[in-house]
Amino acid sequence: MATTVPSIACLGVIGRNNNPLHTTIFPSYDPATNTYRPVRTPLQFSLILSSTLDVFELRARQNAAAGTGLTGDLGLLHAVDDRLAAYGFETNTGTRFVVVVDMRGRRLDGSAAVAAAAEKRSGTAATGLREGEMRPVFKAMQAAYIKLMQNPFFEIDEHSVPGGMGGKRITSKRFAEEMRRIGERWGPGVTSL
Amino acid sequence: MDDYPPGCLDHSVPFLLTLGTCTDTPYDAKLSHALKEQAILIRSELPALDSDQARALMRYMQDRDASNSPCNARNETTRKYRFHIKSAERSLLLPPRRARLPDGFEPPSPTSATVLHSPYSPLSPVSPLYPDGLINTDWIRKHQDLIPSILLCFYTLVSDPTLSTLCDNQIKTDVNNIRALLSQSGYKTKLAVVLLSDGTNPASMEGVQERLDVIRRGCNLDAKALFLVPPNESQEELERVAENMLTTLYAVSLEYYRDLGRHARKKRSRGIAPQPTVPPTSGTSQTLSLAGWNVRYDFKTATFAEYRLEMDVALRSYELAYEALLSTEVMELIPSWSPRWNEARLLADIIAIRCIRCLLWNGQHSAASRRWQFHRERIADFVDRRGRGTNNYGWAAWEARWAAVMADLIDKADIPELAPSSGRLYLPPEKSVMGERLQPWELLHHQGYWHRMAARHTQTRRALARTIPESDRQPPSASPASLVAKSAFTYDTYMCPDPYEEYPIDGIGGGVEHGKLIVDRLIRARSEFLKRGQKRLAAEVSLECARELGMAERWEDVIKLLRPLWQDMPFRTEGWIPIIEEMDWLLRRAAYEEDEAELLLMIDWELHSQSFSKRPNWEYNLAKSLEDIETAEKPDIYIRHGQLISPVAASFLFRDEEGKAGQSVHCQLTIRSNAHQGSALLQLSSVQVNFSGGIGTVVLQHEDVDDTRQKHGNIVLSSLTLTTRESGEDDVKSTSAGSDGEKSAVLKGTADLRLPPGQVLVFNLEIPLREPGDAHAESVVVTIDNDEFKLNQSISFAENSSRNLWYISASAVKHIAHQRPLSLHVLPRPPKMEVRSLGWKEQYYTDEPISLEFEIENGEDVEALSKLDVTLFGEKPSSFTVDLPSGESQTSSSIRSEESRLSGAQLGAIASAKSLTIRLHLPPIESSSRHDLTLKVTYFLPTNPGTPISQTAVFQLNIVNPFEASYDLLPRVHPDPWPSVFDPDTVAPLPGPNSPDTPSFIPKGLSQAWCLVTRYASFASEPLRVTEVSVQISPSPLFRCTAVATKHSLPEDGSGRLIQPKTIEQAAFELTAQRATLDERGPAPLDMALTIRWTRAEGGNLEKVNTTTLPIPRFNIFGTEPRVLATVSYRRRGNTKDEGSGGHLVIVLTVTIENASSHFLTFGVSMEPSDEFAFSGPKMTTVNVLPVQRRSVEYRLLPLDQKDEDDNGEKGEHQGWWIRPGLMVRDKYFQKVLRVLPGGEGLRRGEEGLEVWVPGARV
Repeated sequence: MATTVPSIACLGVIGRNNNPLHTTIFPSYDPATNTYRPVRTPLQFSLILSSTLDVFELRARQNAAAGTGLTGDLGLLHAVDDRLAAYGFETNTGTRFVVVVDMRGRRLDGSAAVAAAAEKRSGTAATGLREGEMRPVFKAMQAAYIKLMQNPFFEIDEHSVPGGMGGKRITSKRFAEEMRRIGERWGPGVTSL
Repeated sequence: MDDYPPGCLDHSVPFLLTLGTCTDTPYDAKLSHALKEQAILIRSELPALDSDQARALMRYMQDRDASNSPCNARNETTRKYRFHIKSAERSLLLPPRRARLPDGFEPPSPTSATVLHSPYSPLSPVSPLYPDGLINTDWIRKHQDLIPSILLCFYTLVSDPTLSTLCDNQIKTDVNNIRALLSQSGYKTKLAVVLLSDGTNPASMEGVQERLDVIRRGCNLDAKALFLVPPNESQEELERVAENMLTTLYAVSLEYYRDLGRHARKKRSRGIAPQPTVPPTSGTSQTLSLAGWNVRYDFKTATFAEYRLEMDVALRSYELAYEALLSTEVMELIPSWSPRWNEARLLADIIAIRCIRCLLWNGQHSAASRRWQFHRERIADFVDRRGRGTNNYGWAAWEARWAAVMADLIDKADIPELAPSSGRLYLPPEKSVMGERLQPWELLHHQGYWHRMAARHTQTRRALARTIPESDRQPPSASPASLVAKSAFTYDTYMCPDPYEEYPIDGIGGGVEHGKLIVDRLIRARSEFLKRGQKRLAAEVSLECARELGMAERWEDVIKLLRPLWQDMPFRTEGWIPIIEEMDWLLRRAAYEEDEAELLLMIDWELHSQSFSKRPNWEYNLAKSLEDIETAEKPDIYIRHGQLISPVAASFLFRDEEGKAGQSVHCQLTIRSNAHQGSALLQLSSVQVNFSGGIGTVVLQHEDVDDTRQKHGNIVLSSLTLTTRESGEDDVKSTSAGSDGEKSAVLKGTADLRLPPGQVLVFNLEIPLREPGDAHAESVVVTIDNDEFKLNQSISFAENSSRNLWYISASAVKHIAHQRPLSLHVLPRPPKMEVRSLGWKEQYYTDEPISLEFEIENGEDVEALSKLDVTLFGEKPSSFTVDLPSGESQTSSSIRSEESRLSGAQLGAIASAKSLTIRLHLPPIESSSRHDLTLKVTYFLPTNPGTPISQTAVFQLNIVNPFEASYDLLPRVHPDPWPSVFDPDTVAPLPGPNSPDTPSFIPKGLSQAWCLVTRYASFASEPLRVTEVSVQISPSPLFRCTAVATKHSLPEDGSGRLIQPKTIEQAAFELTAQRATLDERGPAPLDMALTIRWTRAEGGNLEKVNTTTLPIPRFNIFGTEPRVLATVSYRRRGNTKDEGSGGHLVIVLTVTIENASSHFLTFGVSMEPSDEFAFSGPKMTTVNVLPVQRRSVEYRLLPLDQKDEDDNGEKGEHQGWWIRPGLMVRDKYFQKVLRVLPGGEGLRRGEEGLEVWVPGARV
């Protein structure tokens, strides 16, 4: 079995009205064909992103009851299966960032494999994730989102209709590019993006 | 877990078997036939107990059966015992301890006795494991179900003293008998006895203890193995006894299993592989290796530890067994074609499951999850290397099973932290692994995830099964042997059927129903998700489930599953378009198959929307949706706003924020098609706009009209006229599902409502407003009504102030800045009564009576009964009079100091379009001021007599002073001689009219003459005609005074002169004043006023002459100081008759000194010689003036004109010039120079003293 490490399979931004604002899907390593392609269809990713809303709601209830969860980082929302896991972050204004991690999304080769092997010897399995390892991703996503909102032509209300339902998706190319960059650059142990 | 052989995964709980009671479910060992022949029968000779007490006790014990209790350590501290309890009535069968030799087997050598082994051991030929199997379920079942750790015998302790000894003896015999049988069997099962006392009276229990002792001794039982249930105990007492008994027995039972475990360990530590009873002759004739034996022993040790609930020990032993099993010495050596291969895999599974169970028992959830993954990876690796690979349906089937097993294990473990009420989806990692890098999946998720995973693997299994070539799917009987052999090596059939059964070629021979398996798993997953409020995930699972059902063409089930979801799924309001789309297409197919016309229509309607991706080669035509559908009646669908994603959008805009009742408001309705390009046009039959507030429903109906509409691009603009109809008159009501029935009026219009994809229909509407208040555009209902169906889509308007685009034309829009474009504030009906003033002037003047004329015109459609209120507001308003058309006059009253008012003057009825005139009279106002005149007409219309309507007009009345004047009072020499104090007769009264109010005395004092020069100017905005200027002198008791106008520019005939504004006019008056008595010495004040009589220029009406009186500031006359007045007269010398031409001009300058005081004064008068003139008269003289006397000095001056011509070239020749005589009058006594005042014409005071006018030669 080729050594694989976690990578981001999908980044999602969900608005206050539970409406999808943005989705970027990243290819994952497919050992059968030795190529990179998305591990699920866009529809399935939509379903995965939307199903995280259940968890957001559940956590919101729990946090409200316990008076916790002020940081907005909800950590692991749930693992969809043994391969994909969804991590979540909620801003103060109710925008959610979801990172779907493919635990076997990237193949290690060359020097990276050696490094991973070294890490393995030192006792920690490189395949797992520590708590808070998603934090840089959320930080970068939030920074990108803030940048987007600072654009005077970006009408927030259009994307999260106040008190209403739905909203438009984000069409900013720069934002999409930033998401792509974040998703591609992240790997286990990356502390800043 | 049900796929595994029964019993192999049961939780190991100590087995207790009761004997000697009646039971409804007698225990049956279910021994195999071979074993039954050799089974050991243990039998109680005494009849089985059937007393109530015995039954109650049995029931209590069986309720405590722990074989199905949850596998967790939660209640361990409170729970004193755990038993798997079965009851046999009279007898039981135990499997033989030693297997028999196989029939016909001759011992190879009589010397070496053949060693017999347990029938469950691979050493015995009867065992299926013989000769090289590891261990199988039978062994597990042997301890679980067949051999009790404790055999509990029930007997009656007879209380009848006559029978007691006999019965006791019978018990002793029976127990000893059973004990003998047990020891003969070789099993170490413990024997225990319960005696149920049958006595009814506790008193009869005397001597029982002795009897018990006897029985115990007789049966060779120890004290812990004999229990007595006293008679007639209450239920609580019985339970207490039972609890005691079971707790005691539990310790015994643990000891039993400990012995067994010890035995197994001892065998393992021997370190040799035992030889089978009979050497194998068949197969490979290979026997179980030592490593294999170690697996067996470790497994046994672990199982016995599990009986004792020593889970740590069990886990350790299981792990040992597992590692040994998968080591190179055991499984690696087993060829994959051998049945032992699958047996070993089964054993590995069982060990792994039991390991996981131990971990869950200990609360090591992450470790359990990790163990699960580890086993899967280990086996995958193993199967890849040694078996038939992981790329076949068999492996997928195993994966599915492996996931399902985990779900079942979690179910069994019943983890409270993962219960639905906890709100957790997964468990946090335990402390020992907290800091490690964990796979998210290692945090134990709830069963739903595992079920879903099992479903997914089953899908993979089906996909792989579908790839089996047809040749392999033939039944073995129909295919050549070589192929059968080949497929046996290709497919992994571990715990799953052969290819020809998995996916038979003909399709009718059953085969595995993958769909059913998947749906089953998904439904279970769904219920788990729903329990935890994961409704979206549940919806996702439902969708997957529906896809499976669709594949099986179970359309009815698809509809049943998806319809509730489709109706109110969260995805639609949240905008997860791909999910809705997926569901739509799936449900559409089902609706099509099931002839669900309404559902089909609604889905087709929704799918028209451009929000969804367009399906290629699909005909989007709503009209053809129901072509193949059989419907009983015409579907009539009403779709709420937001219920579906509508392909038609609508917006509405009032052009103005406010409107007035009785008028109409412009608004625009926009209907936009968001349908896919290329779809058939939507033939709307009607559009209905609903309002709240005072606007009725607007209904537009389709009509094919000639296209005169404005078009540009995809925008079509049309203006409609609406007609009012009462509802109920026609079919409007049937479409007005969204409006309430109270609305009375419906506005109807017709328009072309065909809506091609992408087109925007813009309708300009003009809606008449009836009631004041706030109106709001609520929603629009778009209706498609044709022969096949009727579809109503309601669309609520969204308030979005930032994009109020008003289509001016089809190609141009403008932004309308409304805060609330959907709302309209309807003001009350505006008054149509008009109040106009006729001939209103900008300025009115003081001292002028003002008459104002107003016209009130009724602009209403009907006559109006009117009243008038007039208010004059300002500083000290005077009261006024109003002439009403009735001929009556009313006068105002002053309410406050600054307000004068007339209220409620009846005007009567004013016919429509008629007017009446009122006149308002104001008396002359003295001072300039500003007033506000308010006229308010309040009227009632006979059509609405309850509502007063009022119209108010405000006029500003500017009253200004028309004139201003300035004044000079110049002294003059009174021509008459002053009265002499010495001659009373000279004091004659002054001539002049005696006014009645003049005090009737004859003045006898001094008289003086003055000249009042007034300069007045008009400050009016227009020319005024002044007819007369005069001076009013207020009478004084001190003197009398008369004035005569001497100089003014007014014509004598009294017609007056037009005076232009801002021009200064002059008028002079001669004043003659005489003191009343001579004795008066002091100064006297003179109060006068200038009176100007004038009329307005354009009026020309001399009747209306106004008098403006301007008070003149007070002058003082008659001072006591002496005054010196100079007067001149001109004379021509030589030619006195013709003064105007030639001759020398002689100027006579008279200086008059008046001494009004009572002193004798002496003045020095001197005249300087000058170059300008020659003079005659005293150059220097002294004048004595007596008190109340005057004297004059006369000079004759002859101007030297030649010089003057040079000096004053401009004036000299024609008009004259001024000369300055150096005249000086000095009070001799006070040495004070007196000023010489000009006392008449031709003199003036210059800068250097008195100046005298020399007229020019021609003057």
